[in-house]
Amino acid sequence: MSHVNPGAYREAAARSLRDTPEVRGSVGSATRTFEASRTRAFAPIDGDRWRDWARDVKTHTLLNLDQYLEQAVERLEANGVHVHWAEKDVDALRVLDDIVERHGVRTAVKAKSMLSEELGVNEHLERLGVEPVETDLGEYIIQLLGEPPSHIVGPAIHKSLDECRALFHDHLGTPLDGTPERLAAAAREALRARFLGAELGISGGNFLAADTGTVALIENEGNIRLSTSIPNVHVAFVGIEKVVPTLEDVAGFLQITARSATGQPIGLFVSLIQGPRKADEVDGPEEVHVVLVDNGRTNALADEAAWEALRCVRCGACLNSCPVYRQTGGHAYGWTYSGPIGAILAPAMLGLERAMPLPHASSLCGACVDVCPVRIPIPDILLHWRERAVEAGLTPLGERAGSGMYASLAARPRAFEGAGAMLRHTPWRQTGRTLPVLGSWAQERDMPRPSAKSFRQLWKEGIE
Amino acid sequence: MSHPDRSGEKSEAGARILERIRSANVGRDAVPHPGDFGGWRAPDSPADVDPLTGFTTMFEATGGEVINAPDLASAGSWLEAFVEACKAESIAVGRGVPDEVVPTLERVDASGADLAVSSARAGIAETGSLVLDARDGRRTQLLAATHVVLLQVEDIHGSAREAFRDLSSDLPAAIGLHSGPSKSADIGQIMVKGVHGPGRLVAVVIGSAST
Repeated sequence: MSHVNPGAYREAAARSLRDTPEVRGSVGSATRTFEASRTRAFAPIDGDRWRDWARDVKTHTLLNLDQYLEQAVERLEANGVHVHWAEKDVDALRVLDDIVERHGVRTAVKAKSMLSEELGVNEHLERLGVEPVETDLGEYIIQLLGEPPSHIVGPAIHKSLDECRALFHDHLGTPLDGTPERLAAAAREALRARFLGAELGISGGNFLAADTGTVALIENEGNIRLSTSIPNVHVAFVGIEKVVPTLEDVAGFLQITARSATGQPIGLFVSLIQGPRKADEVDGPEEVHVVLVDNGRTNALADEAAWEALRCVRCGACLNSCPVYRQTGGHAYGWTYSGPIGAILAPAMLGLERAMPLPHASSLCGACVDVCPVRIPIPDILLHWRERAVEAGLTPLGERAGSGMYASLAARPRAFEGAGAMLRHTPWRQTGRTLPVLGSWAQERDMPRPSAKSFRQLWKEGIE
Repeated sequence: MSHPDRSGEKSEAGARILERIRSANVGRDAVPHPGDFGGWRAPDSPADVDPLTGFTTMFEATGGEVINAPDLASAGSWLEAFVEACKAESIAVGRGVPDEVVPTLERVDASGADLAVSSARAGIAETGSLVLDARDGRRTQLLAATHVVLLQVEDIHGSAREAFRDLSSDLPAAIGLHSGPSKSADIGQIMVKGVHGPGRLVAVVIGSAST
């Protein structure tokens, strides 16, 4: 897809903070609201038990993923669904070519889907001469702006009410001081016509139940139900890691995902889709396709540490809790999936070299692991990628030189002691400012006065 | 259907993906499925209530409205009064809605209806959800601004898991769970109602005590 550029993280983050300081305000306030809602929603439940359950179902499924996928495909096909396997993004996109041609598709209504962002579905539809229409209100806003989503759950959280007012004024003619209700009503009206006229509906899939061949989708607006119910053809792009053993498991995942994402007991609308319209049904699509997408997921599964990241249910709780994500929102990460989960998935799915420096976009504070509904050990996996990066020589020269110097000192007790003594007697303020990287940090800070004696000396003399 | 047969190509890609999965998992210890999801409550959280009370509490918390009707006839008279109160002139009706409860209004497709009436397959107390079956009509469930749903009190399940277990023996093309009016906070993080789906959702629970 066109937006992959994690390598520019440092510059993009700096640019966001410098040039668009209001983004930090909007993202900070939205993520704090999400986080407070999650905390409230976990109060009445035994959250640890829910999270253990969700972790174990997902781990069990990943360990038997081949069997559950085969079962899901068998069920889907029995339900009358066309199943496609896609190893790469281009394979997934190619599925659309034939559908667009056979059905003379001119407009496709889209339900919010991060996988379709990952694949670049909209750009591909445009190449085919099809107009993709994002129907989730947040996705609609960023589509009008020509931006990628900046959050997994709230794609437009980096935009303030006033920015939306100006945007809707330009595109839909609403007044510049319009209430959010007024703006939403204008979008509803504009999009309603698109729902009724579109030949194709495109969605992702939150879960795929292997025992019934059910694609489950969570939302609050009703646009996903409309996108998958009104057009004559429905295509669902589903990551291979989305499968769970049973529909009853889906009942649990719908609830833990909603509580973790927005603090709701369940999404206001849930779609459970088995297949095309049956003979005794009055409406619904006549043709349903499910595209099972790998696109780097089996690479992640093969990694000794990062495979656990495939348990992710895309609730966004780790983004909301992350002090680093909160500064810039998702755009700086340069990839569809941002925040802590993006930083551990990117090396696994894109390759470590392309994903650098995302594993460093974290203070390792561990707030993410405390809220993850499937208990992904995110800080451990971040460290794992940092270690791999050192092994592969992908870290900056200064860092390599610094840690090489430390390693050689640490291996020689005399030299270590000498270096310690030198540091204790160095005038911090003057020297600190001249250091690369640390200089700007040292400029703003006072160093505590170092002890006259080293710990080793004190130890020898017998510490009180 | 005229869909070209590409099953050979499809199964080759599928076979390669499955093979990569198998080789990735070689040598990993098995983890058993942990069993049924129990919806476990916090130790100090209030004890379980009956399904109707649970459903009502959860459904109303999201802005849904609950009307209790002792029988079908009283549901019919409530609906008649409701139509008058909201000055509806046209109505879309789900297939499972008994004729005797439908007010005499012009019946239209839901895209042009002032009001839609559906019949729920079940309810879920744990999540405050109406379970809507595609056989009742998906447009009726989605397109009108106001959606009234008839629900038999004995069809309310305690948990989503129980409801799904019950559904799985007879699944239509699609099931929709509706747990409140359509909402979004995507514009400046301010909550608005009725974005795409119905902005007003009323559950008429039949067989429950009269209002």
